[in-house]
Amino acid sequence: MLNKSRNILSLAWLFYQQEKNYKHQRYMYWIQATLMTFIVTLSLSSNNIQQFLKYNLDNLLGADVVISQSQRLNDTQLNKLKQLSSKWIVTQQVSTTLTHKEQWQQIKLKAVNADYPLQGNLRISDSLNGVEKEVASGPEQGEIWLDSRALSSLSIKIGETLLVANRPLRVTNVLLHEPDRLMEGHSVEMRALLHQDDFSQFGFAIDLIRYRYLVEADKQQTNQLIQWQKQALPAAQFHHKQGAHPLASFWKRTENLIGLVSIVLFFMAAIAIEQLTQVQMKKEQFFSAVCLSLGASNKSTLIISIVKWSISLLFITPIVLIVSAAFHWLVISWLATTFMALSWDWQIWVALKSVGATSLFFVIFRLPIWLSLRNASLAYLISNIKPSKNQWLSKLCAILVLFIVAFSYSDNALLTGMILTAITASVVLILAVSWISLTLAERGSQGFSGIAPFALYMMKQRLITKSTQILGVGLCAFLLLFTIMLLRDLGSTMADYQRQHDGNLMISQASEDQMRHVSHWASTQDIDIRQSKPYLFAKLTAVNDQSLDKYNDSPSESLATFKRAIRLHWTQAIPSNNEVVDGQWWDSDPDNWQQISVEQEVMTDLGLDIGDKMRFQIHQHVIDFSIVASHQYKSGAGSITFWVQMPATATKHINAPHYHMASLELKQEHWPQLSQLWQAHPTLRMISLKELTERFDKTLAMVTQVISIFSGLIIVLATIVILASISALESNEKKKNSIILSFGLTKSTCLKLNAIEWLVTGGIAAFGAIFGTYITGLMMYQSQFSLPYNPDILWLLSTLLVILLFVAGVGIGASKASLKSSVRQLLAEN
Amino acid sequence: MSKLSNRIELLNVGQSFWMKDQEIHLFSDVNLAIEQGQSYAITGPSGTGKSSLLMLLSGMETPTRGQGYLRHNNKTLPLTELREELGFIFQQFHLLPELTALHNVALPLKLRGIKNALTRAERCLKKVGLEHRLNHKPQELSGGEQQRVAIARALVFDPKFIFADEPTGNLDRKSAQDVSDLLFSCCEENHAGLVLVTHSHELASRAQHVFSMADGEFKHQQAKNMEVAAC
Repeated sequence: MLNKSRNILSLAWLFYQQEKNYKHQRYMYWIQATLMTFIVTLSLSSNNIQQFLKYNLDNLLGADVVISQSQRLNDTQLNKLKQLSSKWIVTQQVSTTLTHKEQWQQIKLKAVNADYPLQGNLRISDSLNGVEKEVASGPEQGEIWLDSRALSSLSIKIGETLLVANRPLRVTNVLLHEPDRLMEGHSVEMRALLHQDDFSQFGFAIDLIRYRYLVEADKQQTNQLIQWQKQALPAAQFHHKQGAHPLASFWKRTENLIGLVSIVLFFMAAIAIEQLTQVQMKKEQFFSAVCLSLGASNKSTLIISIVKWSISLLFITPIVLIVSAAFHWLVISWLATTFMALSWDWQIWVALKSVGATSLFFVIFRLPIWLSLRNASLAYLISNIKPSKNQWLSKLCAILVLFIVAFSYSDNALLTGMILTAITASVVLILAVSWISLTLAERGSQGFSGIAPFALYMMKQRLITKSTQILGVGLCAFLLLFTIMLLRDLGSTMADYQRQHDGNLMISQASEDQMRHVSHWASTQDIDIRQSKPYLFAKLTAVNDQSLDKYNDSPSESLATFKRAIRLHWTQAIPSNNEVVDGQWWDSDPDNWQQISVEQEVMTDLGLDIGDKMRFQIHQHVIDFSIVASHQYKSGAGSITFWVQMPATATKHINAPHYHMASLELKQEHWPQLSQLWQAHPTLRMISLKELTERFDKTLAMVTQVISIFSGLIIVLATIVILASISALESNEKKKNSIILSFGLTKSTCLKLNAIEWLVTGGIAAFGAIFGTYITGLMMYQSQFSLPYNPDILWLLSTLLVILLFVAGVGIGASKASLKSSVRQLLAEN
Repeated sequence: MSKLSNRIELLNVGQSFWMKDQEIHLFSDVNLAIEQGQSYAITGPSGTGKSSLLMLLSGMETPTRGQGYLRHNNKTLPLTELREELGFIFQQFHLLPELTALHNVALPLKLRGIKNALTRAERCLKKVGLEHRLNHKPQELSGGEQQRVAIARALVFDPKFIFADEPTGNLDRKSAQDVSDLLFSCCEENHAGLVLVTHSHELASRAQHVFSMADGEFKHQQAKNMEVAAC
């Protein structure tokens, strides 16, 4: 028994050695290694970030519990807090714009008392490049500490005086580290620290101030505080060391999105693997039949095949681990610019788990071969009866893998649906066009002779294999085209911002007083206010009487945003840049004011339906709204849009501060006057288009890098798909070419045939790719990227032409092997 | 090219190849002339270079020594000029599995851009007795039927010479008899030169000229006039 096992193992090893250099095997290794590297790198990077956030939570909360809200706790609440914890402090924050001479900079101002910090280290230095030192408390009255970027941005030096709301404050230190930085998340906002007594004299509107209570608490106290917050302060943000990092769900979402997009990589890999499986299956069936003729059992040949495959995987794994470790290091180095102090941490278990999961996918892809070996018989050798190739089974296995990938990474039904719909529509279209066009071309050219009709005829006869080839090429072209188109459109959208009718100054938050002042200033200066829309802040606390945490715990952008107060807009009529997609908008003067319209993507993200109830805390009121409509953004009528909107009559019943979002068109001479505006209203939040586009540019640079890397992966897999499809058909092609040569025709005839086949393949694939790109753009541009979709067909066609020339070039180049055929290969002996 | 005056000539031809730094000699100093309209058989054990000789005669490969010519109306041309005037028949038939019998036969005509390819192919298949199998694919035909299709395909474009490599090697006795009858009669009718490579003495004996190859030697064994039935 032991001997038999050893023999089987040594046979498997021998055959692995023999087969490893076969062309189709090499392609298979490339596909497996590429996919594994992608998944392992993704898992390692994500795990690294999650670990970092966990560490961050433990060390950067500055307290055991942090309660944050936009009102000061009232006396009852403070008494309760004192009962629950013996030690706590309060800080206040406001986002404001500081000015110095003609420079201005938006800055997060934090006011603290002498008792700050509660836990952790507060670090400063006395000059920009000075020695870092730890201090026991914050700035004295009359002092302000700025972080180094704020100092540079305002062109101010240590020792100089800064005017805040016309009150002088001396800049005495460079702020290096505050222990409660976590609450700023990965925000890159510039920061300043000052004393609370100074802060209270600036007269900031009370509703703009964010109060943060840092509390010392053990586990039991933490649990009591959690319970209390849920009952007494449902609108407050609550963080504690035993909980999850506020950004953890956001990064989980990012991982899921990338993972979900990887479904297209798996799709392409599935096509390549499916074709290579056909070649391998034939070889394994032949080998199995020979073994059976020598008295071996089906089980033995099956074991040899499984062991052989396992050996190949064992050899790939270390290479994958090394390469993905390198990529992981690159990703972390890249992210370290966003997450300060994020460092490379290689976790072997995470890597091995991902290798295991990906291997499981490959096992499913391999199943058709192993199942066919169970049914292998001697008939293959005796009567040349070929066993079934399990073609449908292998396609079913590929679909199964795709569904597992989609299911594993899906947290957003709409996005998953869009990706799957786009791919399915393209696949169906490519298959339909392949069948219809080849059938029509074949019928139409039946009466004609020549190379082209023959090429079409042959393609029709090989419809199934050709369709798979066309599908592979078509999907590659579709993905490349879509990613390039997205990249181009994102870039041009950024550029278009400069010229849009929205104005060049955006006010994101202005109180009623501030807006009146701005309007007056605008009218005196002959400045055009392009848009102005009112809103109030509302914090979602429950949906259908369930608290937000309980209602939905799957990570999403919408949920992350709803954990803070959102802007609630009121309007009677449907805004001109919105359209209703579901439900019914309210009448002009509804009796029932407790109704809202919610943006479509938010509805899907949170799993909301028309008729659902949303409970908001607005100022001191708790109000239930019923969802009556769902709207979406419509381009061409201004960019200010809101996720949640209510009837204008609702404002009569809600006593809360009103704010405005607005856009203005400033001329060159108006820009220096903004400093005065900010001096008078430091909390007025304005951003120039230049700053906005700079932020967009930074985002675009990140998106460009991610998309470029993804495109690179697509190109690698696309090349492998083409090579695999050629490899799968190579023996048939060689035979066909040899037969053509035996008719006395030349190799140039074979080359022409080959070129025609690739052009037709490319042509049909191109049609599918354009269609796929078009519908994907139609579905995803607006909802996922907030871009208007105006496809430039000429650009699409010319880009496609370049891709197709590349595809045809690779195809014809890689088919050279089949052109090296000769009549001798058809003869019986040497 | 006129129909009657084509002749393939090999003069002092030798063929060898290299395998692992060792030169393997197949044959040397072979002198041979193949006339259009005549039939030739080449016999001999495996590995003596029969197929290589076939490749040299067809101009598909060049000899390592000596030269091959095509004599046409007293003109001497390189053998590559024969290219479009050749048909091959193989032991394994080598029909394209995706195509029906009719389309397999029409294939060389279509590739040459000849009109009415399907009509001519159908006529040719009728000649080989397969009018009832026009729309059958190779895997639906017996070995004998597949070889008949291959013969029809080789002859459909009226080549000057047919090269057949073990054409009956894969067939039972009855089928082999039928196929060889057909092959000789069709070549005769089409006035095509037939060059057969075979182990079968029975098949070889039907050719007008028989050559044998063994141990690097090439011998002319037999020459006779031939009688064949019309195909």
